[in-house]
Amino acid sequence: MKHRLTLDYSVPVGDLAPYFDALAEGKALASECSGCGFVAFPARNLCGACGCRDMKWRQLEGSARLLFRSDGNSSFALVKFDGADTKSTVGLIHPERTTQTGELAAPLGDAPGLWLALADDNEGNDDGK
Amino acid sequence: MISDVLIAGGAMTPFNRRKDGSSFRDWARAAVFKALEDAGLEAADIDTLIVASESDFFTLQLNPAALLADECGMIGVAAKRVEGGGASGHVAVHAGVAEVASGMSRRVMVLGVEPSASHLKGVDVGALYGLSFDAWTDGMTGIDSTSLYALSAQAFMARTGATTNDFAAIAVANRAHARANPNAHLPLDISLQDVETSPVVASPYRRLDCSPLSDGAAAIILGRKQDLPSTARCRARFRAVSNSVDTVRLGERRDPGCFHGKHVAAQRAYTAAELSPVDIGLAEVYDSYSGAQLQALEALGLGSDEIINAARDGVFAADGALPVNLSGGLLGQGAPVGATGVAQVLTAALQLEGRYFGLQAGHAPRFALVDTHGGIATLNAVSILEAP
Repeated sequence: MKHRLTLDYSVPVGDLAPYFDALAEGKALASECSGCGFVAFPARNLCGACGCRDMKWRQLEGSARLLFRSDGNSSFALVKFDGADTKSTVGLIHPERTTQTGELAAPLGDAPGLWLALADDNEGNDDGK
Repeated sequence: MISDVLIAGGAMTPFNRRKDGSSFRDWARAAVFKALEDAGLEAADIDTLIVASESDFFTLQLNPAALLADECGMIGVAAKRVEGGGASGHVAVHAGVAEVASGMSRRVMVLGVEPSASHLKGVDVGALYGLSFDAWTDGMTGIDSTSLYALSAQAFMARTGATTNDFAAIAVANRAHARANPNAHLPLDISLQDVETSPVVASPYRRLDCSPLSDGAAAIILGRKQDLPSTARCRARFRAVSNSVDTVRLGERRDPGCFHGKHVAAQRAYTAAELSPVDIGLAEVYDSYSGAQLQALEALGLGSDEIINAARDGVFAADGALPVNLSGGLLGQGAPVGATGVAQVLTAALQLEGRYFGLQAGHAPRFALVDTHGGIATLNAVSILEAP
């Protein structure tokens, strides 16, 4: 039996719309807890640290440092964006580069994932200074 | 402590990639009918059917519980479907335990089934699995299971000193265990070098560090002793079940290499069972990737505080103090998602009863632990079983 199924989803993002709107422009909009100040990127609707429901937005610079990276058919990394209290998983742009830093980039195509453009090898190995 | 929920009987089909034209409906019927035979029961004796299936995208069948009740001759039964990602089968078992322990049902059939290998191309299954995490963030980046597990494994390695050689040793051992299991997908005779020279999938993981996509089904029947025929009254029983969820996003965990949700689930299970990790004599743990087995054992508190040394010292070997994954685990036996956790519980029960069809523990354990998770140790299910 053969059956081909093509699905075209349109998913409302609700209260996280400001985060996704910013991400589409390559900007890092984090959530900040009004109670404990915990900054989450990607943004959250509820504080992951204290459970507070009162969240506000905080613009980050979009720069990040790699903690771990994995390479195969594609390259991904666990990174820490400057100003965030969480770590983030990102797809890597310019994975051939060996630098440990990069900048958030606008998503490739229409999928709202996190993409990090690695800095040029001559610019990124500055030990974060 | 759970006092009187027995695994009255059970059965599983081979786990592999079906190329014989059979369907998941055929596998489900085979597992159900053999489970009934093993328990000495008829379909009409079953009060409730609980079906575990991770995704309608795999089966191409919504409302699978009703369909499979009909397929398996259980019209009139109460039916439901339970889902918990990779832990779907084990979570369904927990639902069955609750059903029996509460008195809502006398005899419950838990059926796990998944056509993870034969219905879709591997790349399509991979794309669906990518939605097992936070679909709006991780999923939309296109990150796959292997890459997320690889990042977690690297954090684990950095903290513990585990090496790729430690991971490869697990890939080799579990495939060796699977060679005694007639239902295993990958009963391989491989070496450390084979693992370490297999193609890189997502560093540090190579192809032989990864569990396969499998087809198959498994079924167990639960009931209280008073409600079972004499043949099924001397079977293994549940001592405790537990479940705990961790943050969905790996990056929000304090230590992304630590399976903290699994640790919480295990501690709850030990407390409920009035046992400690040293009481466990056998374990079937969720080894979706070779390194994930070490991460799981650490979180479960098995072996010792120095998990890497315990592994290197052979504590978890077939002839060790605490044999792990004698079935071959997911790496060797295979992983048809909905069936995986059901088969793990069945394996542990048969080991405790001395009826296991594969590699048997060298000693006669009194207590066995079963561990399964969905996501990247995000939804964690733990059971502790006791010998008859």
